[in-house]
Order: sequence, then C-alpha cells, then structure tokens
Amino acid sequence: MTAPITPATRLLAAATLHSPACFTAAALASVVGGASSLAIPRLLADLLDGLLAHRSQSGRLAVLALVLAVSASAAALGTLAGTAGGAAAVGWLRRGVVRRVLDAGLAGQRRYSAPDATGRLVGSCEEAGYAGIAVLDTLVSVATAAAGVVALWLIDWRPAAAFLLGVPLVHLTVRLFFRRTSAAFSRYQEIQADIAARLVDALAGVRSIRAGGTEAVERDRVLAPLAALSRAGAQIWHLQRSTAWQLGLLLPAIEILVLAVTGHGVIVGRISPGQLLAAGGYTALALGLFRQVDAILGLAGAAAAARRTAEVLGQPVPTRGERVLSGSPVGCAVVLRGVTTSIEGRTVLDRIDLSVPAGTSLAVVGRSGHGKSNLAALIGRLHDPDTGEVLLDGVPVGELGDEQLARCVAYAFERPALLGRTIRGTIGLGRPGAGEAVIERAARAARAHEFVRRLPDGYDTEPARAPLSGGETQRLGLARAFAQDARVVVLDDATSSLDTATEAEVGEALATAFADRTRIVVAHRASTAAGADRVAWLVDGRIRAVAPHARLWQDQDYRALFGVRTEDPCPQLP
Amino acid sequence: MPAAALTHPAVRMARGFLRAHRRSVAVVLALSALESLPVLLSGVLLARALDQGFLAGRLLVGLAWLGALGAVMVLRAVVTRGLIPGLGAIVEPLRDALVTSVVTETLRRAVADTARPDGAGVARLTRQVETVRSLAAALLRSARQLGLSLVMALVGLAALAPVLALLGAVPIVLALAGCVPLLRTLGRRQQVLVTAEEALAGEAGDLLAGLRDVLACGARERAYRQLDVLIADAESAARRIAATNALIGLIVSGGGKLPALAVLVAAPGLSAGHGLTTGALVGAVTYLLTTVDPALRSMVEVLGSWGVELAAVLDRLARAGMLAEPPGPAGATTAVDRPAPAPHGRRPLGHGLTVDSVTFAYGPHAEPVIRALTLDIPEGTRLAVVGASGIGKSTLVELLAGLAVADRGEIRLDTVPLRELDPDALRESVRLLPQEGYVFSGTLRENLRQLRPDASDGELVRSAAIVGMAALIDRLGGLDARVGAGGHPLSAGERQLVALVRAHVCTARVILLDEATCHLDPSAEDRAEAAFAQRGGTVVVVAHRISSALRADRILLMDGDRTMAGTHAELLVASPHYADLVGHWNGTPTTGPGED
Repeated sequence: MTAPITPATRLLAAATLHSPACFTAAALASVVGGASSLAIPRLLADLLDGLLAHRSQSGRLAVLALVLAVSASAAALGTLAGTAGGAAAVGWLRRGVVRRVLDAGLAGQRRYSAPDATGRLVGSCEEAGYAGIAVLDTLVSVATAAAGVVALWLIDWRPAAAFLLGVPLVHLTVRLFFRRTSAAFSRYQEIQADIAARLVDALAGVRSIRAGGTEAVERDRVLAPLAALSRAGAQIWHLQRSTAWQLGLLLPAIEILVLAVTGHGVIVGRISPGQLLAAGGYTALALGLFRQVDAILGLAGAAAAARRTAEVLGQPVPTRGERVLSGSPVGCAVVLRGVTTSIEGRTVLDRIDLSVPAGTSLAVVGRSGHGKSNLAALIGRLHDPDTGEVLLDGVPVGELGDEQLARCVAYAFERPALLGRTIRGTIGLGRPGAGEAVIERAARAARAHEFVRRLPDGYDTEPARAPLSGGETQRLGLARAFAQDARVVVLDDATSSLDTATEAEVGEALATAFADRTRIVVAHRASTAAGADRVAWLVDGRIRAVAPHARLWQDQDYRALFGVRTEDPCPQLP
Repeated sequence: MPAAALTHPAVRMARGFLRAHRRSVAVVLALSALESLPVLLSGVLLARALDQGFLAGRLLVGLAWLGALGAVMVLRAVVTRGLIPGLGAIVEPLRDALVTSVVTETLRRAVADTARPDGAGVARLTRQVETVRSLAAALLRSARQLGLSLVMALVGLAALAPVLALLGAVPIVLALAGCVPLLRTLGRRQQVLVTAEEALAGEAGDLLAGLRDVLACGARERAYRQLDVLIADAESAARRIAATNALIGLIVSGGGKLPALAVLVAAPGLSAGHGLTTGALVGAVTYLLTTVDPALRSMVEVLGSWGVELAAVLDRLARAGMLAEPPGPAGATTAVDRPAPAPHGRRPLGHGLTVDSVTFAYGPHAEPVIRALTLDIPEGTRLAVVGASGIGKSTLVELLAGLAVADRGEIRLDTVPLRELDPDALRESVRLLPQEGYVFSGTLRENLRQLRPDASDGELVRSAAIVGMAALIDRLGGLDARVGAGGHPLSAGERQLVALVRAHVCTARVILLDEATCHLDPSAEDRAEAAFAQRGGTVVVVAHRISSALRADRILLMDGDRTMAGTHAELLVASPHYADLVGHWNGTPTTGPGED
C-alpha cells in the first residue's frame, strides 16, 4: 500500500521519530516478537516429530521455553516503549499545536475557533501521536506474515501457493474498507462538531432561553443533527459488516485450502506430521494480519486526526520581531499609515491614515460594525492589517517582540476574558511579578477594589467562581489594563456596562493617572468623546473626520450618532 | 463489588440502558454463542481429519472432515454478518442516549443557573461521549468474541482429552487472578490520565477563548508554558499506565503459553497412559497456541485498555452529573423539567402590572436586593428603570417576568398574581429580552419567528423594517440566510437586532427590555425603542443610556433604600442622585461638549 506523501503523513513520521530511543526499542521488540512467532512453529514441528519417534526432547523443550519467554518479554517491552514513544509524540504534537495556535493569534482563530482548536489539541493530537507506533506494529505484522508465507514455502511450496491465491482478494477487501471508512469517519465527526456548536450557541443564549421558556425546543434544536449522526454511525457499521462478512468467508477458505494441500503432502510423504503442525502455525501467523480490522479502523481514524492536526500546524503565522522601543516610559506616538483590513472579503477598514501624538487622547466613534474595534486591535498588533503599517514612536509594531508590545500597549475590552487562577492573577496578567500594591492601586483606579474585597476570598478568589456582573467584569478588565502600566492605553468599549457615574470616575482616574500616556478610547457615549483631546469619526471603515468633539458636534450626522436629534448644537452649554 | 458501586450513576445508566435494549442484547448474546461454535468444533474436526484422514493415508476422508470444518466456518460468517448490525443497534442508541442526556443536562443546569460550561467544556463532553461510543463498540466487537472463544477453546480441549483442559485451565485461571489487582491499579492510573487530559482541555479552552486577552497582556509565552506543564502531566500519566500494562502483559503471556508447554512435556506420558493420538496432540497444541493464548492476551489487553477507559470516562460523565437520569431509548426521553404549572391556570384580561410591597434577596441570609417595592405600571405605560450597575434592575425585570419569585409581597398582571398564572400563558403575555441577543443555528426566518411560529414573511419583514433590521437582512441575503453555528457570523449588536425583531413580532402585550439594545449605537437604539413604543402595550426598559429614560412616560430610579418613581422632570427636582446620573450621561456638566 503506497500512501501519497501528504503533510499529514510527514507529520506522523516526524512525531514518531521524535523519541528515537523509544521508537528503536519498540521496533526491536516488535521484530524480536515477530521472529519468535516465526521460530515457534518450527520448534514445535521438530518437537512433535521427535516425540513421535520416542526420543527424549528435553533440549528442544528448553529451547522452546526460552523462545516463549523471549516472545513474552518482547511483547512487554513493546508495550512499554511503544506507549512511552506514543506519549512523547502526543506531547510533541500538542506543544507544536499550542505554539502554532498562540502564534497565529486572532487571525488563526478565524480559521479554527477556540473550541475547535482545543478539540484538535486534546483529541486529534492524541490519536495522531500513537498512530506511528500503530503503523510500526502493522508493518511488523505484515513482515511477520510475509515471513510466515516464506516459512510455509520452505516446508512445501504448494500450501504456500494456495495461501497466496487468497491474498489479493483479502487485500482488496481491506483496502476498500480503509478508504470508505476514512470518508465515513470524517462525515461522522463533522456532524458531531455541529451538535457541539449548536450547544455552545444555546449556552450563550441561556438567559433568553430561560426568559422564553424554550428549553425543550432548544434541546431539540441542538439534538436535531442526532438522526444524521446515527445514520453516519450506521454507515460505519454497515461498512464493517460487509467487510467482516467477506473476510469471514475468505480467511477460513484460505486456511482450509492450505490444510487440504498440506494433508495431501502428508499422505504422499512430502511432509512430516510435525511439519503439518508447523504449516498450521505459519498459516495462522500469515492470516493474523487480516484479522486486524479494528486496528485498521483505528488507523483510518488516526489518518483523519493527523489531517486535522496538520491543518492547524500548517497555518501561516505572522513573524515577530525582537526590537525594543527606547525612551522613557511615557506615552508614545501612534501612527496608522494607509491601513486596510478585511474580514471574509468585507473591507472593514479602508486606507486609514491616523496619527495620535504622544501623551494625547483620542476617542474613536462610529456606528456598530464600522471598524472601531478593528482599528483598536491594530495598535497592539492583535491583528495585522492587509496593507499599510502601524507605527509606535516610528517603529513598525511588527518589529516589536511580544513583551515589548505589552509594555507599549495595554487593552481593556468590552467583555474581557478573566484569565488567571485568582483575581490578583487576573489583574496582574499584563504585568508579571507585579506586587500587591500595584494590583490594589489598579483595582482602586478601576473602581474594582470595593467589590473584590467583598468576594468570598477577596483577591484570592478564583475568577470562574466569583459571581461577577458584566460591569464588574469590565472593571477587572480595566484594572488589568491599568496595572499593565503601558505607554498606550486602548479602551475598546471597556466601560459600556458601567453606570455613568462609575464610568465618569474611571474616566477621571484614567485622565489623571495616565495623563502622560497616549489614550485611545472606543466610545459610544457623547461624554466619553467629549473628554478626549480629539475624536476620530469612522464611517464605513473610512475616517470621516478627526477633530475635537465640540467641533464635530456642529455636524448633525455626528450628533445623530449619539441619539441626539435636537437642532440645538450645544444643549449642555450654560 | 461493594454495594455503593451498584448505585453509581454510570452503573444505573448501563443497567437502565441494557434493560431498555434487552432485545438487541439478547440477539447479540445468542448470535455470539452461535458465532463461537466453530471454535469449539474446529479442534475436534481438525484432529479427525488428521487421525482418520491424512495421517491414515486416506485423502478423501481427510478432505471430508475439512469440508465439514469449512461448512462450520461459512455458518460462522453468516452469523457474524447478522451480528454486526446487532452491535450497531446497541452502540448507536447508546451514543444517542448519551448525547441526549449530556445536552439535556448541560442545558438544564445552564438554565437553572447552576453550571454553565464554556466552549471547551462542551468539546470535552463531546469527546467523552464519543470515547464511550468507540470503546463500547470495540469492547463489544473484541472482548465478547475473545472471551467466548477462550471458553469454547477450553471446552473443545476437554472434548479432545479432559486432562488437556485441566493442564490448560490452571495457568490461565492463575494468570487471570493475578491480573485483577493490576487492572485495579490500571483503573486508578487511568483516572489520573483522564483528570490530566481534562485539566489540559479546560485550561487550553480558557486560554484560547481568551486568546485576544492573552495577546493584549503579552502573556503568550506564559500561556505556552502553562499548557506545556499540563501536556507533560498527561504524558507522564500515559507512561505510568504503560508500565502497568507491560506487567499485565507479562503475566498473561505466562498464563497463555505455559499450557502448550505443559501439554508437550506431558505428551509422552499422555499418549502412553491416556491414548492421546497424534491428531489430538496437534489439535491441542494448535488450539493452545493459535486460539487460547492470543485470545487470552487480547482479552486482557482489551479489558485493560478500553474496559478501564470506558469505566473511567463513564465515571467522569456521572460525576459531572451528566447521567442524572438513566436515558432510555433515543426519542423516548420526555420533555425537560419545567416549573410545575400553577394550580389555577388563570388568565389575565388586561396588561397592567402591579408590584405590591415586594422584597427579594438572593438567599436567606443575603441583604435584600429589592426591599418593600411598590409600583404601579398601568397598561400602555413606557417605564424606564435607571440606577447604578448591580443595584437590582435585572432582578426587578426577572420578578416582573415571573422568572424569579418574590420573598414577600406579590406582583400582579391585571388582577392575577403572577404565581397563579399558567407559565405558558404568562410568557405569551410577558416577554423578557435579556442583554445577550440569542441567535440559534437555523435560517433567519426560523430565528425571527421563534416566539410566534405562525408569523408570515410579510410580518417579519415589516417588523424588521420598523425595528431597523432591514439593512441587515439585505446584507445577509434574505430570510433564508443561515445564522448561528455554521452560518453567517453576527456581531453582538446584530444579534440584539434579531432578538428585538423576534420580540416585536410576538403577541405579548408586556415587553421587558433588559439592556437589550446596549450593543446598538445610540441612533439604532433610539429606533428600536421607538418601534416598541409604537407597537403599543406595556414596555419596561432597563436603561442603558439616559436617552431611554427621556423617552419614557415614567422612570423608576433604583437606589437601594432611596428608590423612587416619577417623570423625568419630577425626579430632576426630587433626587440629586438622578440629576447626577443624568448629568454624567449627557457628558459631565463641568466639561460639556462644545467647550471651546
């Protein structure tokens, strides 16, 4: 069977050879095991003939016992080394996938969502990691089986020829099965993923489901593909059935044919009774290969898993630089030059030129879906633009290393993910080794300190176990950005769930404590825009204007952005 | 097995499942016995073929016996052919039952707010269910066949010469006995591995779901190192399992190979004393080395890998509460638990709401979130609820929707207390829209008419136009566009639009919007809220922006003990706190827009 060299095949080879010692030991054990299985029928034949001749066979019995012991030890060693090698291969693949997924960043996440990538990391890598050893075992089985045929041939060519008659048929059957099941498996896995995705959707909308009393309907909707899953499963069983039926007829037919030819050999005196026993043993050995439908099924699954792993590993990753931004830790200038971004063919940002002088603040406003968050994401290189460049103090962000970037740009998001094992770790995520005082100061500035103290274990509470509202979650995200103490602070709709009083307090804290930093705020409220030095107004992914809030306020369209329909240009002026 | 083990949810589930599918199980058992019959006969037939045929120089007799062997084998193939769909008939419903049970339980817990797994949690559950399926399939295919072959081979051996069966059985039984404690160790180590794998899946799921935050915090390397440790844990757990497996392998090899050796050592004595023929000797050794030894080894291997893993995964699922109800055959599970319908099932006539000195606290010892609140919301009122985050606005609307029940006092729709209303009737009258815009996998049309399945396309499009979703429908390419899992990706604001139109189309006369427009930009929010005002009926809006309050007939300012209601003008005068809120909402009074 010649498999084409695909990335998946190459990956399997590399993973298996990752721990050469284990692989060598497993291979050695396999070969020794195969060799002893070959020796045993021959030893038995001699022994039986000797017994029939009534001679003492203690020497031969001792040799047989030794070979049986070696065969058992080889099997044990094979298990040990094979699993160790497989586990190492799994680890290697997983490290590779983790590295690749992290490096590919958010662009990679558009290709493989977090649950998908996690599934591949945990499931596909494991299956693929053990595939190499499984292939080795299968290869040795093939070799041993072939040697069994040769041994049979050495006893007498006729039974061997009888055996070989059946081989092409069996080969075809198994091969066909392999090809068909691989496709059936992929189909099965797709439907499974669909059910999981539907469940994730439903969990995201759980409050609506509770409010609507539609739990039973939702459950049925999630389970809707189950019938198709059953059909795909039945398809696999169907393939197994026809293969098992064909093999169940073929294999015994071969066995009986070989026995008949050998029996004839005994009658005409070509073959001794002992050799007849050996011939039976070698036939069984040769047939052993074909009895591994489950192993082959496993390989089909492993091939699909290897493909899924190779896909993730094969995705492009942006290069990262190592440059360090010089200068004192005050705000740095942010410049976007001719930046264009598109998502799934839709242009989100269109030739944006924007310059934010060091230490000033800029509000970014515009309707939903007009590119505000995308613009914010470019500054700290959460995304790369399709064309154009983003500069921090004149240095392209692509030339900065990870840690440098984090020191330059801090983010607070509308819905921050609370990572870390404790609230303290959550707030300190952007600043490793931050002391107690830094964390608490940041929490106070974000108006989070009070409620954190009321949590069951205060700053040591596990975020997942803390009962946090949307506003509280946002305040932890703000605290994290404040603690990061970066030269540019980007707030991407990070105060939307705060009540206006708290938002104003946080805004003040930002303006005071980070007065010398560059501040970029994606805003929905007029008050936020009013507080910034200048406002960048995005329409359809293009900059319509960059000016102070007061000047833009003259424009009726701008006012409409904030839901103000009055003709009065400045309703708040005394 | 200790009694406690029998009440384990996994065992209960297995028992319930086997009971529900006893026909399939009986068929498989009967066919399995039939399938292993050839093993029983093969040794005897082979010995006859040799003794009476080939070794006696009679070719035709030998061939006749082989022909009999062939006929038995054909029978076996026919049986196998019938058997495999039978295995599928057990395994596929098992998977269906598990998927149904896991989805039902996960949703039920999420709705009851006791546990809410994320994407990674779902991936983990999916994988565990799939593991159960493939393990059960493998066990049924292999262990069943191997175990029966082993028994049949020993019986066949006894048919050749009883003393041979004894020589064969003793080492086998000893080896199996030796394996039992090791299989237990294996089980424990398997648990360690499953735990390690789960920790990896959980942590990776969290970190990847929060990848944006990881990158923003420059924590990429730390994330990598964190996962690296967990990957290494799983790796070493797998290695420890291999060590136990190797030991089990050694013991079983001994038990499997010693019988053949014993028979050969004893052969000279046996042929003299027990009249053991050459054919019988060849048959016996063939049995022992080509059937008994491999079957024994494979069976223990299968039990030690798939069997132990199956037990571990089922245990995991049971501990996660996913097997709470023993699932019956697919489709037979009844509808999910609902709150018991009210005894009276009364129907209100009007659609005004009355809150009558209502107190509510989360738990008996907690400080009440709402204390002795009295409020009248006459039919047709537009009420805005304002107040700081965490002050209890969402709790209030949940009380109004009947999703939470007051500790003291009562809420009435028209004149009927909410708790006396039939839940379905209540929902037909009162619809609560939470902040998250729920979009499920399906077409836009299915999503929009979820609350009113008989709504026509015209009605959907009209509501969409009023609420401000027409452009989105155009962009997606019409009502047939697929959204949700596997469909067009929608932003948070677009999801809210879908939910808003869905509510606008429905027949409820009381609509509660709990920040249901917060992801829309102000002008879109404006339009959406105007759509509900124009729609008529009672509307309660938890205000996200002050503009919502300005549009309302009445405003409820929630401020702990100083909660009060009134019009905008009244509250400006009566409540400095309200004035403060409004001031900030419009831009701080000191630095108003247009300052320079």
